[in-house]
Amino acid sequence: MERPNKFKTVLSVFMVLLVLIAAFLLLTRLLEPKYAETLTEGSMISQYYEEAGGHEVIFIGDCEVYANFSPMELYRQAGITAYVRGTPQQLLWQSYYILEETFTYETPKVVVLNVNAMRYSEPVNEAYNRLTIDNMRWSASKVGIIQASMTQEETFWSYVFPILRYHSRFDELTKEDFAYFFQNKYSTYNGYQMNKAVNPVGTLPTKRVLSDYQFGDICYEYLDRIRELCEENGASLVLIKAPSVYPYWYDEYDEQMEEYAAQYGLDFYNFLDVTEEIGIDYSTDTYDEGLHLNLSGATKLSVYFADILSQEYGLTDYREDEEISAVYNEKLAAYDAAAAE
Amino acid sequence: MAMEVLILLAGLLIYAGYGIYGLCWLGAAAIVTFLAGLALPKRKWLFWPVIIVNAGLLAVIRLQPVTGVGIAAPLGVSYFTLQIISYLADVRRGKYPPEKNPLTFALYLTYFPHLLLGPIESFDHMKKALGERKITWDGLSAGALRAVWGAFKMLVISASAGVVVGAISASPEKYQGAYALFAMLLYSIELYGDFSGGIDIVLGVSQMLGLGLSENFDAPYFSQTVAEFWRRWHMTLGDWLKNYIYIPLGGNRKGKARRVLNLIVTFLISGLWHGVHYILWGLFNGILVSLGNCLKTKYKTLNRAVTYLLISILWSFFIWPDTMTALKSIASLFTTFNYGALAADILSLGLNAGEWIVFLCSLIILWMNDWKKDRLAVAFAGFSPAARVAVIGALGLLVLVFGMYGIGFEAEQFIYSSF
Repeated sequence: MERPNKFKTVLSVFMVLLVLIAAFLLLTRLLEPKYAETLTEGSMISQYYEEAGGHEVIFIGDCEVYANFSPMELYRQAGITAYVRGTPQQLLWQSYYILEETFTYETPKVVVLNVNAMRYSEPVNEAYNRLTIDNMRWSASKVGIIQASMTQEETFWSYVFPILRYHSRFDELTKEDFAYFFQNKYSTYNGYQMNKAVNPVGTLPTKRVLSDYQFGDICYEYLDRIRELCEENGASLVLIKAPSVYPYWYDEYDEQMEEYAAQYGLDFYNFLDVTEEIGIDYSTDTYDEGLHLNLSGATKLSVYFADILSQEYGLTDYREDEEISAVYNEKLAAYDAAAAE
Repeated sequence: MAMEVLILLAGLLIYAGYGIYGLCWLGAAAIVTFLAGLALPKRKWLFWPVIIVNAGLLAVIRLQPVTGVGIAAPLGVSYFTLQIISYLADVRRGKYPPEKNPLTFALYLTYFPHLLLGPIESFDHMKKALGERKITWDGLSAGALRAVWGAFKMLVISASAGVVVGAISASPEKYQGAYALFAMLLYSIELYGDFSGGIDIVLGVSQMLGLGLSENFDAPYFSQTVAEFWRRWHMTLGDWLKNYIYIPLGGNRKGKARRVLNLIVTFLISGLWHGVHYILWGLFNGILVSLGNCLKTKYKTLNRAVTYLLISILWSFFIWPDTMTALKSIASLFTTFNYGALAADILSLGLNAGEWIVFLCSLIILWMNDWKKDRLAVAFAGFSPAARVAVIGALGLLVLVFGMYGIGFEAEQFIYSSF
């Protein structure tokens, strides 16, 4: 008689534990931000997993890549298959780990790194860390990016169990949290975040004189690691500086990047030097007074860069590829429809 | 025995994490006290030098704001110093023989959970608990529930009250009168939730390890007089003060006037034990305790309300960083009557509507638990294993969701661990 009772007891405890774990997971899902209608930048990372593979060009970097370079225009102009793995204020070490992860999904021919983040030598903001890291799939790269990115007030466990970070949202839940409980919503076009608004450059803030223009050692360390990672995977690393007029890209910064590129035989394109050639008009081509380009500006820049990429790096023109063009034509249709709205 | 060694080593390892300096102090104190205890039956003169050194070092630490003599306080110094004094005093008076097993003595003095917050154990009780130590399913489940309940009190109740108290106390010039009173009333809850919650965690973890430590609280805010309050609040400190200060001073054996004096001296020492800033707090408590039942009426609820109010007002010395600010805040209760402004401001003191609702519901749960504590414990003991796991898990989820911790909150630091 005792044996069945013991079995029943163990089974009932086990069932209760299962219910508790399920409740824990459901609560976690309810409380974590969905990044579907608001702060959509937080879903950029997870969108990639649904579209990973087959890209010859991967962009990494901060908002200056996902707001300024449109893979759809690269394809339209030169048949380039590209994806932007940019996230808000992506720091150099984050770019490294995101690239490391990318190489586990695909092997691009060209990696384009926007070097704006070279100016930041330490984690800046917990919120930006969250937007970049929260939706990464678990891997050695995610462990690495967390450890490299945490601000002093953050803990590793709050990334493992997001409820530790987001529990206080219980009284801030909105319709979005329930509508996207079981589904995700993505809003970029191969990582490009479209913005059609026009907000011309006005009076720029005064150019501050810095006490030190030297990039930090840690930035160089991760730049080296990105370069070595590209070499190991047979990808060409291209350094760029997007044409954002603010925050200021100082001549001293530019000299350091020129020097680094020359030392390792890399190409470095500072698009701030060729804005007239590209045709950017800061009275019509920016949505936030010069920090980022709008659709019009991003189109001009992407068309310009598409020619460079196709001529200099031997990329395939996939417009002739039946299978891939079918996929991209569908994406282009959605992209054009959104642009025309 | 292996488990005891493991508990000791784990505790010392965690303690070492707070700094090697503290570990050296604690280690030296343990060795000296152990050896002094062994020698004491034949060399009674050893008692006072060891007591004076230990009590002197604690006094130097506590008087530092006045004397300016700097000495860093190791974690838990207040607790293990009192245990050293009680052990040597008991051995000297022959209450029990000196301990010959260094492991038992080391566990008594350095058992990590109670180093942070107490309870302040007497050696004979701790030795008995160690001797009877046995891990059982009942102990594991009841201990786990108690530990999670402690976390609930700390992270949900105390931390919520702490947000409002913090907002008010940060601007003493701006927040007077009704605001000050509100802060005092809430601080009572904050401190109780934090301290008794921490003790619940200590006792719960110990219970899981099969170790039955002394209770430190007995629903103190149900007390009808201040004297009763101090019999139900921080009970192990109260017992210590009674046994090693009040009774040796003569207790109530030498007449009414001497009894009052002894009470006031005892509470002054209690104040000093908390820090030099709290001497006045000790004095006022001593006076109120001396009054005994003078303020007591035939109405229980009224008595409880008056006691709660008096105790809350005296916590002012813990809320405001200096004595003058605390006294000014108390005085403002009688000069500034801005209750309307407080009511209008209630949502701008750090908690939003949702958080207020959670806080008030949690208070009801706390009140019910204190009121029906024994009955709830008995009911839990009658639950099936699955039901016990469900209760513990559900409470744990409540703490996870409604607790105030993590970025933006710093409330998970024990208030009382600084004493």
